[in-house]
Amino acid sequence: MPISEDHVGRSYPATAPYEVSRAKIAEFAAALGDADNPAYAGEVPVAPPTFAVVLAAAAWDAMFADPELGLSLSRTVHVDQKFTWQRPLRAGDEVTATLTIEKVRARGATAIIAIAVALSTTSGEALCTAASTLMHTNEEAA
Amino acid sequence: MSELAAEVGQVLPSFSRTLERADLVRYAGASGDFNPIHWSDGAAAALGLPDVIAHGMLTMGTALRVVTDWCGDPARVRSYSVRFTKPVVVPADGGAVVRFGGTVTKVEDGVATVSIEATCDEVKVLGAATAEVFLG
Repeated sequence: MPISEDHVGRSYPATAPYEVSRAKIAEFAAALGDADNPAYAGEVPVAPPTFAVVLAAAAWDAMFADPELGLSLSRTVHVDQKFTWQRPLRAGDEVTATLTIEKVRARGATAIIAIAVALSTTSGEALCTAASTLMHTNEEAA
Repeated sequence: MSELAAEVGQVLPSFSRTLERADLVRYAGASGDFNPIHWSDGAAAALGLPDVIAHGMLTMGTALRVVTDWCGDPARVRSYSVRFTKPVVVPADGGAVVRFGGTVTKVEDGVATVSIEATCDEVKVLGAATAEVFLG
């Protein structure tokens, strides 16, 4: 059965704890061409804001692995992305991510899916919400 | 943090970045997004794309430098949203030049709203790109 409005509200278990490291922050900043920003270096650097996508993407896996939805990443287009931060991620943070399906609009073979991934520390401090709109096309139509 | 000054209409410094295939591979490794449309000619062609395309999140992340270069501390960024309107096509030879800029569109309750532009070959690659920045 393909994804439908019936799946709105579905949540997945939190991802395994991920420890943000100085090395990964430096690597991500360099990939953005932003290695010179001193905030991303030093003893306790903050992560570039969009580093949150690394954690959010890990949470996507659970939804794409859900056999009831019949989703495939290769038939998915990322339409938009919004981050809202409570505070920046920092080296040493142990982070988990929880995905919730917020909205589904299915029309023919295409579904527009709104998801929200909540990032928090393993001690429960809220860090960031990463909200995405995805456009998915069912296999039959491909 | 000392207070940051901002006024509506203020134009933030712009910059250009040339994205080459190696930059896409580097971002794939840093982000963990190994979708082959970002590094394989065959995978891109199979989807009808003119060439390999940059990760939308690479363009989004690079564009935020308009804000963080200006405000100094990335911890000031409260929210950031974009629509992925057009892919950035990255040929194997020479790459693609993306131009980034921004304008302050609102200042209210100690928060500045910045509208960010990202263009490649004069075409907008991000839509409605907006960041909110704490000034206090």
